[in-house]
Amino acid sequence: MVEVDQLTKSYPDLLAGQFVALDHVSFSVQPGQIFGLLGPNGAGKTTALRILSTVLQPTSGIARVNGFDVTTHPYEVRHSIGFVSSNTAIYDRMTAWEMVEYFGKLYGIPNDRLTERMEKVFADLQMNEIRDVAGARMSTGMRQKVSIARAIVHDPPVLIFDEASLGLDVMVARALLDIISGLRANGKCIIFSTHIMREVERLCDRVAILYRGRILASGSLPELEDQFGEADFEELFFKLLNESDRVRIEDAHSAPTLSAAIAGSSAITAGSGI
Amino acid sequence: MNWRHIQLIYHREMRDQLRDRRTLFTIAVLPLLLYPLIGLLMMQVAQFNREYSVRIRIVGHENWPETLPLLDAQRKLVVSSTSTELSRLIEFSTEPWPSDANTIEELRQQASSAVQLDLVDAVLIVKPDFQQRMQNRLAAEQQVDSQSPSTSQSDSPLDASITGDKITGDKIAVNQLKQTPAPESASEGLELVANLARDHSQLAQRRLQRVLDAWLNSWVSSELASAGMSTNLIAPLMIAQTDTSPDSVRRAMLWSKVLPFVMLVWALTGAFYPAIDLCAGEKERGTLETLLSSPARRNEIVWGKLLTVATFSISSALLNLFSMHATAGLIVKQLALAGSSQAVDALGPLPIQALGWLVLLLLPMAAFFSALALAVAALARSTKEGQYYLMPLLLVTLPLVSLPMIPSLSLNLGTSLVPVSGAVFLVRSLIEGRYAEALMHLPVVVMVTVACCLLSIRWAIRQFESESVMFRESDRWSLQSWLHQLWRDRGMTASPAEAILCGLIILVAMFFAQFMAGSSIADWGSVVSMTVSVQVGLILTPCLLMAIFLTRSIRHALRIHHVQPSHLAAAICLGVTLHPTYTALGNAIRYVYSLGDQIQAALAHFSQLIYAQPLWAVLALLAVLPAVCEELTFRGFVFGGLVKQGGALRAILITSLFFGFTHTILQQSIAACIMGLMLGVIAWRTGGVICCICVHVINNVLSIGLAWMPANHYDLPPSLSWCLRVEADAWVYQPQWQTISVGIALVMVALLFLRSPATQRVVQVEAL
Repeated sequence: MVEVDQLTKSYPDLLAGQFVALDHVSFSVQPGQIFGLLGPNGAGKTTALRILSTVLQPTSGIARVNGFDVTTHPYEVRHSIGFVSSNTAIYDRMTAWEMVEYFGKLYGIPNDRLTERMEKVFADLQMNEIRDVAGARMSTGMRQKVSIARAIVHDPPVLIFDEASLGLDVMVARALLDIISGLRANGKCIIFSTHIMREVERLCDRVAILYRGRILASGSLPELEDQFGEADFEELFFKLLNESDRVRIEDAHSAPTLSAAIAGSSAITAGSGI
Repeated sequence: MNWRHIQLIYHREMRDQLRDRRTLFTIAVLPLLLYPLIGLLMMQVAQFNREYSVRIRIVGHENWPETLPLLDAQRKLVVSSTSTELSRLIEFSTEPWPSDANTIEELRQQASSAVQLDLVDAVLIVKPDFQQRMQNRLAAEQQVDSQSPSTSQSDSPLDASITGDKITGDKIAVNQLKQTPAPESASEGLELVANLARDHSQLAQRRLQRVLDAWLNSWVSSELASAGMSTNLIAPLMIAQTDTSPDSVRRAMLWSKVLPFVMLVWALTGAFYPAIDLCAGEKERGTLETLLSSPARRNEIVWGKLLTVATFSISSALLNLFSMHATAGLIVKQLALAGSSQAVDALGPLPIQALGWLVLLLLPMAAFFSALALAVAALARSTKEGQYYLMPLLLVTLPLVSLPMIPSLSLNLGTSLVPVSGAVFLVRSLIEGRYAEALMHLPVVVMVTVACCLLSIRWAIRQFESESVMFRESDRWSLQSWLHQLWRDRGMTASPAEAILCGLIILVAMFFAQFMAGSSIADWGSVVSMTVSVQVGLILTPCLLMAIFLTRSIRHALRIHHVQPSHLAAAICLGVTLHPTYTALGNAIRYVYSLGDQIQAALAHFSQLIYAQPLWAVLALLAVLPAVCEELTFRGFVFGGLVKQGGALRAILITSLFFGFTHTILQQSIAACIMGLMLGVIAWRTGGVICCICVHVINNVLSIGLAWMPANHYDLPPSLSWCLRVEADAWVYQPQWQTISVGIALVMVALLFLRSPATQRVVQVEAL
């Protein structure tokens, strides 16, 4: 349902010249799966997900969502996804109902079906108390619900959550995770990015570890633990990061090792059966 | 484009803005309150002027002629011809002439301090000799009868007029004559001490002047009567007036100047704040990414926001317009009641169709301003940053909006080409009823306005499609790193922005140099120094400096490339064959825009200086040097920067504009601009600057040479008689050569279109 192949994104930066945010990233996600994108800040998670939501254009490589290419059919792609990010907020002066209705109409849902659908969504997410509350007066949890509601109002097959739990307290974050599990049960294809290990362990079927624009490893958690011989996922994560840093420093001293490192890391990613 | 999306976005944004109390206040409440308050203030001032009673002290009233005193025993005005109104508004106090012999200087001091201390508003000092002076007038009058007018040297202008020999102006009213500023008036015997920096004192002076004029009138009438002459003698001349302008137009005059300005300023500010909120505000609040990942396309989003901003811009302008108009109408009614008909005439309500024209002007201007505001606001990352961008936008648009208020400018071909100003001029013509003139310039104004709107909307859409604008991260910009990046990433030639910056620097430098150049050119030495400093210092130096620091190869930056022989030959030929056309063009321009007398005299003087010098010196300084410097700069550096990414057309157009503007005389600018277009085409086709230099040098050489030769009394060599002939001491082209040269020039230009592979490679690299 979501296929990413050799996706690269670079842009000119004042200090660094040309900054490579994503370096030949490849992964795919099937329906009924939650795919986790794990990495520290600045790894390139937001960039990758923004490319999938057609908000950014890739420099090279292919990204396909629900069969549509993001560069050639962005309109259809946007119709097929629901995108929730820590950067997607809600309008201060709109009520919850108005907000979801607005996006429902933008998604082209006819009015009668829209009301039906909105009733269902509000019931499922237990939002009926905040129907007429303006955005500015909502708590963080309520805002989160409204964001999710507007992302699923058109029942998209693909859902993308970009650090959606950022800044949320424990209760609200837990509720969010529950909702996402529920969506998986409905057969949605979900991509979930985070830098919190616990969420990955609880939620994700498969995970890719992204660091400095490159995927260091990907696969299901048991697979990764077997592959790297590390029972604790957190330890595994930091081991991979440190290894990557070490290789990078070595490359700074001697060039030939670079190709070997790339060959090595691509062997790892190839071997895990993406 | 999906209209449904645009509609949805528009409705949402409008609802959102209208729910914001601050927006509602600025757009709706403020204009409704502002103008009535201003009106109230104005009425108060008018009231003050009407009601305030000035205090005037008269020192030495006993020196006033007894035959017609100014004040009676109760210190009230005696003079009957003043209105009772005036006598009510002046409060006189008197002080006797001091018995001890004060000098006039001391009296002045006392009077000054009284005025400064605000004890009185003005002091009138009546000197003891005043009475005598008035008597002298009578005597002088009798004298002048026997004298010829040209030799009469009397103080009093009164005398001259009575004889009727020195009638000046339409009215022979006595008070008119008194206003001729005469330095001897101080010796008339009256002196007024007032603090003209204060309103009250000014008012006192004005009222006193009217009183004294009325008194003089009475005095003259009484003297005439006692001499047995009719007082009709000094009655003012009555002229029956016929005004060619209809009533409505006369009333519209003041409004037609002020209202467009006020309306457009409000349209701009009414556009700006919503634009900031819709762009930078959304970025700040994080709702922009939500919208960008929705099915709405970028241009649909821009159109939706644009319509919102334009709605607010138009509403703001209209509300202000009507509020101002209504307030003015009410004030005028009040003033009319108080009896001042002049104000009614000048500030009467604008006729309906004039308001209609104004609204018609508003619509495209609001669209233009909204698109500009939206594009600029999209650049900002926060509302605060957005507000900083308001100032440059105002600096650009305010001059355009206020240009039509300059009295000496009117609607013509030149002004109709200026964005915004052209439209304002057009609407002014429509309001004032000059429909034929308006119709003539309508196509140009419409074209320019539509082009501006489209370009600005395209710019706004471009901003929304640019990732760097929409997702600008925190400001890591520092001067050092920017300079470092400039050095590190410099290309073989300039970037488009650097090219334009170079052009602008040169224009600004030339602007300031004009003022520091000083007065006219004195001798050949100053001609040399001026030409060298302008060409090398102001034109070539910025170009060279930028080429050195901002590019990797000066040769590439200045477009000094290998030239294919056919191009070189064609260029040399073009230089010769284009010159007749160029001279004809110059003559045509001078015919349409004739040179002023001052400029003609300066040019004649300049020419004389030049022709006295040897030919080689003149050619080297005025033909070769400017050609080389200007070509290297404009068709070299600037062209090279602008021709990138398929920008040949923009390179040709912009370089010729810059080239034109560096010539200070308008006629030269136009000719240079047109020649610049041809040179731009040559620069483009040949891929280098060498051919342009050839053409330019030959052109200049011919221009100067063909003037220098006859001025130094050379005879036209017979071998050249097929192309030149002598006419009124100048060498001009034969008509047949003028025609043939055009044909040959066209063939040469066609030759330029054939590029050798080497040239093709150069051009391709350049266009990357």
